[in-house]
Amino acid sequence: MICWSCQKAAGDGMLCVRCKAVQPPDSKADYFRVFGILTTFDVDAVDLEKRYKEMTKVLHPDRFARADPQARRASLERSVQLNEGWQILKDPVRRAEYLLSLHGIDVGEMSGVGRPGNSGEHATLPVPQVLLMEVLELREALAEAHAAKDVHETEALIAQVRGRLGKVMDDVAKGFLASPPDLSTIAARLVTVRYYRRFLDEARILWEEDAPGAKGKSGDAG
Amino acid sequence: MPVEALFGISEPGESQVKQVCKGRAVGIDLGTTNSLVAMVQAGQAVCLREGGSALLPSVVHYAADGSVIVGQRARELAFGAPRDTIASVKRFMGRGPDDAEASRALTPYRFAAGSAAEPVVRFSVAGGTREVTPMEVSAEILRVLKTRAEAELGGELDGVVITVPAYFDDGQRQATRDAGRLAGLEVMRLLNEPTAAALAYGLDKQAEGTFAVFDLGGGTFDISILKLEGGVFEVKSTGGDSALGGDDFDRAVAGHLLQSMGLPADAGGDPSVARAVLDAARRAKEALTTETETMVSVTLPLGKTWQGGLSRAELDDLVRPVLERCGPPVRRAIRDAGIAVDGLSGVILVGGATRMPIVRRFVADLFGKEPLADIDPDEVVALGAAIQADLLATGGRGDVVLMDVVPLSLGLEMMGGVTEKLIHRNTTVPCGAVQTFTTYADNQTGFDLHVVQGERELVADCRSLARFKLGGIPPMTAGMARLKVTFTVDADGILSVAAREEHTGQEASIRVKPSYGLTDDEVERMIRDSFDHANDDMGARLLAVECVEADRILGATHVALSTSADLLVEGEGKAIEAAMTTLESAKAGTNHLAIRGAIQALDEVSKEFARRRMNVALEQNVRGQALDAVEKKVTSK
Repeated sequence: MICWSCQKAAGDGMLCVRCKAVQPPDSKADYFRVFGILTTFDVDAVDLEKRYKEMTKVLHPDRFARADPQARRASLERSVQLNEGWQILKDPVRRAEYLLSLHGIDVGEMSGVGRPGNSGEHATLPVPQVLLMEVLELREALAEAHAAKDVHETEALIAQVRGRLGKVMDDVAKGFLASPPDLSTIAARLVTVRYYRRFLDEARILWEEDAPGAKGKSGDAG
Repeated sequence: MPVEALFGISEPGESQVKQVCKGRAVGIDLGTTNSLVAMVQAGQAVCLREGGSALLPSVVHYAADGSVIVGQRARELAFGAPRDTIASVKRFMGRGPDDAEASRALTPYRFAAGSAAEPVVRFSVAGGTREVTPMEVSAEILRVLKTRAEAELGGELDGVVITVPAYFDDGQRQATRDAGRLAGLEVMRLLNEPTAAALAYGLDKQAEGTFAVFDLGGGTFDISILKLEGGVFEVKSTGGDSALGGDDFDRAVAGHLLQSMGLPADAGGDPSVARAVLDAARRAKEALTTETETMVSVTLPLGKTWQGGLSRAELDDLVRPVLERCGPPVRRAIRDAGIAVDGLSGVILVGGATRMPIVRRFVADLFGKEPLADIDPDEVVALGAAIQADLLATGGRGDVVLMDVVPLSLGLEMMGGVTEKLIHRNTTVPCGAVQTFTTYADNQTGFDLHVVQGERELVADCRSLARFKLGGIPPMTAGMARLKVTFTVDADGILSVAAREEHTGQEASIRVKPSYGLTDDEVERMIRDSFDHANDDMGARLLAVECVEADRILGATHVALSTSADLLVEGEGKAIEAAMTTLESAKAGTNHLAIRGAIQALDEVSKEFARRRMNVALEQNVRGQALDAVEKKVTSK
């Protein structure tokens, strides 16, 4: 990369090795590379956050409020990339999905409306009937608990699904350790995780409505 | 084929600072009840005072002779001239003339007729000889603060940071920015009030950990959760209610006083009475912060005076129902931050209303710990704004950085009136999102893009920010076009949207600048509704999504059957038709899972047929035909 500012080789860091001008991001770099860590599922969360904060201190647009337009633009683009990478890598589920996407497997959304998903190229992964039934039953139980304002039952359902989700994610983690990892099995597990997460989101909203105070388990539900 | 320029993120600096000389930047808290200005002097943030007081009452009086009076003197004039004296103007910022705010009980103002060209509230003042917008009224307040700062600096100001409630939407933010411009100020940044408060605590008190900022001002309630660590101020989540504040306490007390006086709840429509009662209510409320009982006296027109008593217990009963509306936003912010209440290191109090004993007790109960109020809750926001102004003007203080978030989700309208969120609330700014969409109908030659803001699943329940079109797409079969939409939010929280059709390279973009105000108490409703209807919403969304998908698949299959019947094998046509009938009847019901199942079944039986059609199209393509010729063939057979 040639530095836009001093017109000499800039190196591949955030700042030019010579003149310290902020460099535009490499849009092809995957997020693991953005953070300078190995492309694995097993990520050290504390180390990742430290890297994120340190890099933000260098790149944040506030630091370039008075700089020249090219530096401002580079800092904005770098910050956007960094924030996006952080959102994905800090979350084990999104991190797993992202790793699969690097291998060309798109776990996709539940619905394909308005997306190219259903028309061939990125086939949406099949959703097993068993899972649909399981989630349908859970939803019914949740609706009943909500109708009866039964906070304990809602909490029990949340705990139950969280337990199931945790087990599936343990399997996902193990799956990534195998060599070579069985990506299609991992993808199928992530479809299950997606359904569980949606259920938990809904359950938490209902729980907040019914719960008497803010004190309680709301936090560890997150 | 006209190709518009792709805006993308090519000019990030446009809304930010121009070249600012260092040092001469101040922070302004433009409050509902009072406004303040502060600056960093010798490394220390201080509020600038005039006549011993840092607080400038946010009240503007327009005299019949054309003069404008701001502050304490204006507040005094409000009794004699309630219509010509605007208080709590912040509640009208970025709002339309149809807003419920304009028709609230006990609003003493007269409003000028709105116009379609400029859909903002206009107050009729100066004896009906003048019309002013909320931006202009706010600009008067800002001018006084500007003068105060310039007297202190002995020269012109180079830039300001103005604070806004975290829950202000794009329209309200834009109005605030416009007010600054009207006052001749270079607005470097709009800063969220709770974030400003945290900045003041973090830098002055060296606080570290995860904090909740409970900000109850005159007209708005904000809650933010921030992590303060090693000079990094990271907003984890934010929430609130942009129509809940100390004013509502005053109204509750005023209602009680009117009842005691034997007057109707709307004060008989007399603005002088309304103003006098509201003012008595405010004074009583303030007195009861230190006293347990107070005398209330209301001077009515024609020199009559009403007197009565009010106890703190009575006050508490009156304000409690209003105060309890703070609960749900707090819970949601804690959930969004992904922490437990016990994980908070402390709760910071901001805003004059947090002086009230009942508010402090409420906060202590809600969070299970005594709140912090080491820094004057009236001044803390302005002090934080001054620190941020200093950081921006000097290019950063070594290793202090502020990471704020998007307060409300941003998305696009999809078929069926469903919102597709591209950027979720509480995402750290600057941020971006890219998503690819496709056409719904055959031969669709354009996309209508509708950008919305809000938490609800249906577009009708969210706030419309902008609409734009991307045209010039050659006719293709449904699902063939590839529209790549890019959302970018800069550090100021301003959204840019760019759209590009991948096959043709057609592009369009927009910098979102909302042009009209909220109707009714939209934000309040939006927040509350996303709770009340979370479940309905999810069901309605899933159903709408599946129905659109069902229609798309039925339509496409229909076309395929009629145009490529020659590709069908024995019995396949019958099986496909049967699956279509099943889907039709599932679609008539309300069970989205049944529809989903029927879609999958239809997909399954028609998969081979679809593959054969795709092969035919590909072969034609390979033979060197242009893409659009293939399209025409497929669609016009």
